[in-house]
Amino acid sequence: MVDRLRVSLYGMMFFAFLALTGCPPPATTKPEAPPPAPPQPTARESAPAGRAAPSPSSLEAARRGTTPAPSPLNDIYFDFDKYDLKTEARGTLKANAGWLKANPAARVEIEGHCDERGTNEYNLALGAKRAQAAKDYLVTLGISKERLSTISYGEELPVCKEQNEGCWQKNRRARFVIVSAKPAS
Amino acid sequence: MFFRALLTFLLTLWLTSQPLYSQVRGTIVGPGAERYPIAISPLRNLGAGEDAGRLSEGIADIIARDLELSGWFRILDRSAYIEDPQKSGITLGNFDFRDWSVIGAEGLAKGGFNLGGDELAVELRLFDVYQAKQIVGKKYAGKAKEFRRIAHKFADEIIFQFTGVPGVFNTRIAYVSNAGGRFKQVYIAHLDGSERIQVTKDPTINLFPSWSPDGRSIFYSTYGYRERAPGLYLFNLFTGKDTKFLSGGGLNLGGKWSPDGKFVAMSLERQGNVDIYLLDTTGKIVRRLTEDPAIEVSPAWSPDGGRLAFVSSRSGSPQIYVLELANGKARRLTYTGGYNTSPSWSPAGDKIAYTGRAGGRFQIFTIAAQGGDAQQLTSNSADNEDPSWSPDGRYLAFTSNRKGRYQLYLMQASGENQQRLTGSGGDDTNPSWSPRLE
Repeated sequence: MVDRLRVSLYGMMFFAFLALTGCPPPATTKPEAPPPAPPQPTARESAPAGRAAPSPSSLEAARRGTTPAPSPLNDIYFDFDKYDLKTEARGTLKANAGWLKANPAARVEIEGHCDERGTNEYNLALGAKRAQAAKDYLVTLGISKERLSTISYGEELPVCKEQNEGCWQKNRRARFVIVSAKPAS
Repeated sequence: MFFRALLTFLLTLWLTSQPLYSQVRGTIVGPGAERYPIAISPLRNLGAGEDAGRLSEGIADIIARDLELSGWFRILDRSAYIEDPQKSGITLGNFDFRDWSVIGAEGLAKGGFNLGGDELAVELRLFDVYQAKQIVGKKYAGKAKEFRRIAHKFADEIIFQFTGVPGVFNTRIAYVSNAGGRFKQVYIAHLDGSERIQVTKDPTINLFPSWSPDGRSIFYSTYGYRERAPGLYLFNLFTGKDTKFLSGGGLNLGGKWSPDGKFVAMSLERQGNVDIYLLDTTGKIVRRLTEDPAIEVSPAWSPDGGRLAFVSSRSGSPQIYVLELANGKARRLTYTGGYNTSPSWSPAGDKIAYTGRAGGRFQIFTIAAQGGDAQQLTSNSADNEDPSWSPDGRYLAFTSNRKGRYQLYLMQASGENQQRLTGSGGDDTNPSWSPRLE
């Protein structure tokens, strides 16, 4: 009878690795691991609303365990599984465009977010579409696309963690983060 | 120097096993059939030392848990066992089958172990109690810490004897969990949660682990620091090395190796559009596979490598499509429900499992790869998502929040015998079942 239980080299190497290190493989470290973060203003210390001051992204805020700082630019909200801009969102974007015209040096990263329902991967793409829809509209309002970048966090960084529509609505948003108050070089 | 040490180590670690005896294939039992009553005796300590590591019961516990998870066996309660496992014989003729038939056992697994220093020798046998004969016997040798692996391999052997296909308990599941802190990290563990390895540790979002067909490495997506959108990384389980496969330009999501290991399918966000691309193994784009302005994500290879199931919102809602790679043509597969995502193609190629929205909740469905009626496998007032097939196609791993937080579950491909695998206290999601690891 053929010996079905012979163990492959792979399996052995895997276990040898565990045995050799006496512990799981070292957790990975990215080459682009950050330098120590410079001290950031907390929400309370941040510039008064209306002034262009850089603020951390939602991911940076999560790393520091802080809530995202208030921004002179307002969030816009979406329906479930949608990325088209509702009337109210267009109004908010017009106000945001006005602020951007008054602060021509400011550059903004638009974050697309989703509620927790549905598939993580699809929601990342949906968040990208939401951020892109906001960017496209700001461009039609006369904001240079060079001043606008986008990123999606999908359902990964909710602002509200309860399971109800009120909370989900808060999470289905595009957020506008001032990444630089200086003109693009 | 390190490599020589490693090689020496590997050679000394090489597990040996020889069949002691092999006779008949047992009765074939299947899902839905009455569960086969089997006793798993604690192992006899054949060595001189004390069983400080509790191997006697530890090995029996793992075999019992695996057989329980398989859905085919009913494990008889150990407290009912009559004989003393440390005094009774472990070979045919050296114990009394009536001690087992009287408690209702039709099958019996028993054996012994000998621990000398760090060297572990284990012999295990499967008996047919009614016919009073041995079905199979195996000897294993390895290091003491390998006792779990030995137990999983014998559980797989028992399942082979009964069904003609080995079990899948010597495999692993890669998944994502936020149990360790604020961020989702990638882990790899046995189905029973043992020998868990943490793959990622950086304080950032890590998602979508996926195995290479040789079981040597896993892809995952991670948010970096300089490049802010997630990139695709490759973690090698051999070396512990982590390398960047693709980053920059927007989202780089969920790489999936082709079955022959020559290509990678993944979704990329480029110029505000999310589409599916085919890449070579160096991360170079070979071909853009979808061009629609809608969302296109989550490619899943057919086992023959000729087709990809994927998700597209081109109809106005996310639905599963199948793309023929030879001609680039895509056809829609799902027509029921307004939200169908995360396709996973069965190893036999006949079915596609996916997540669908029904009654405001998310459930696991399967549908024939050629199209047809969908079959709903989960139904309760909770969400069930992210199906991943076992390498033998008999099971699906998935995540469910039926007990509050998301945990990993296992079910038979029919939807029967749903059992919880993890209970980390956090959310365990994105399961990816490894290929067979031998």
